[in-house]
Amino acid sequence: MAKKHKDDGHEHSGDHGHDHPAAPMVDEISDFEILELAVRELAIEKGLFTPEDHRVFSEWNDARSPAAGSRMVAKAWIDPAYKSRVFSDPLAASKEVGVDWAEPSGFGTTSDYMHMTVLENTPKLHHVIVCTLCSCYPRPILGHSPYWYRSPNYRRRIVRWPRQVLAEFGLLLPPEVELRVEDSNAKSRFMVLPVRPAGTDGWSEDQLAEIVTRDCMIGIAMPQPGRTSDGPRPIHKASRPVHSGGRPREATQ
Amino acid sequence: MSGESAGVQGRTEGQYVDLRRIALLESIQNEDQTWAKLAPRWCVVEPEPPWKVCLDATCDCLSAGGALDSLERRHAEDELETVYSAIPNPERQLLTLAHIMLSRGLVTEEELARQISTVRARLEAVQE
Repeated sequence: MAKKHKDDGHEHSGDHGHDHPAAPMVDEISDFEILELAVRELAIEKGLFTPEDHRVFSEWNDARSPAAGSRMVAKAWIDPAYKSRVFSDPLAASKEVGVDWAEPSGFGTTSDYMHMTVLENTPKLHHVIVCTLCSCYPRPILGHSPYWYRSPNYRRRIVRWPRQVLAEFGLLLPPEVELRVEDSNAKSRFMVLPVRPAGTDGWSEDQLAEIVTRDCMIGIAMPQPGRTSDGPRPIHKASRPVHSGGRPREATQ
Repeated sequence: MSGESAGVQGRTEGQYVDLRRIALLESIQNEDQTWAKLAPRWCVVEPEPPWKVCLDATCDCLSAGGALDSLERRHAEDELETVYSAIPNPERQLLTLAHIMLSRGLVTEEELARQISTVRARLEAVQE
């Protein structure tokens, strides 16, 4: 098992040319950290990929976050011309907020096809996204999918009982609001453009971007003044193990 | 692969991966070392361990290089969900990736055990 090392007596003296306290860090080697390194190094040793490949993808992964999506929504809320580009050419609109879907390889990654559709919510229409097949997600613009989004439980139930599942996330939609569940597939990615909430008149793009959280762009939450983070979400286990109906013969994700 | 035949609900063959438990990976399932336990113990607020980005990159590289297709991996991860249900993500994602690579013969259990020992010795040497 991993060895533990904890220097409880250490104090940051400020003698190293900076006087701020050191950020807390885990000073303990875990078995999982060792396993990750071992798997990676073994794969490289066997020629499954190169260290350079890994560096490029690590940097790409490290740069992913929902911030670009938040910026896209906020910009669309205050700039009608940009908003029309968001719908007509989402990849070009992504570039305007600093995201090039062709990175890191020149043609994206094998998990992020360069096709995206932005779904506009209105007071009478609400969208929520899912990938019932696996966990397709617009990684370039929203970062990595949350674990609950990947869970079979969410994927199975959101398409069957969407209102109930949204209610479990704390989003209660009035019955008169139409609800559409958009199921991603191997080559399509979706993002929700939520309704700009009341009480945000005169806000700057930065202020607006702060309230457009990841969950708002998935469709399980709505932006509102004062709500700037998603917080933890429950991950319900599947009641039965997953045995899908068969290998997709032309799956290429 | 070694270990007992203790697949999900008696099954040992998934459609995408052999579900039999693997002794080497069974020995690594120490919940106390998951990020959910480690981070608060050290007052760290980062939601993911530092190695998560590297794990995602490894998955991307394996798919880009043709060794392990992303969609096939995701199907196999789903099938293995209950095998590793006691461990939260992202540690479960890591264990299932290792399980899939072993199951598909991309690496052997002996090779992985050897590499784990090598990495452990290297990392722990700097803590002496």
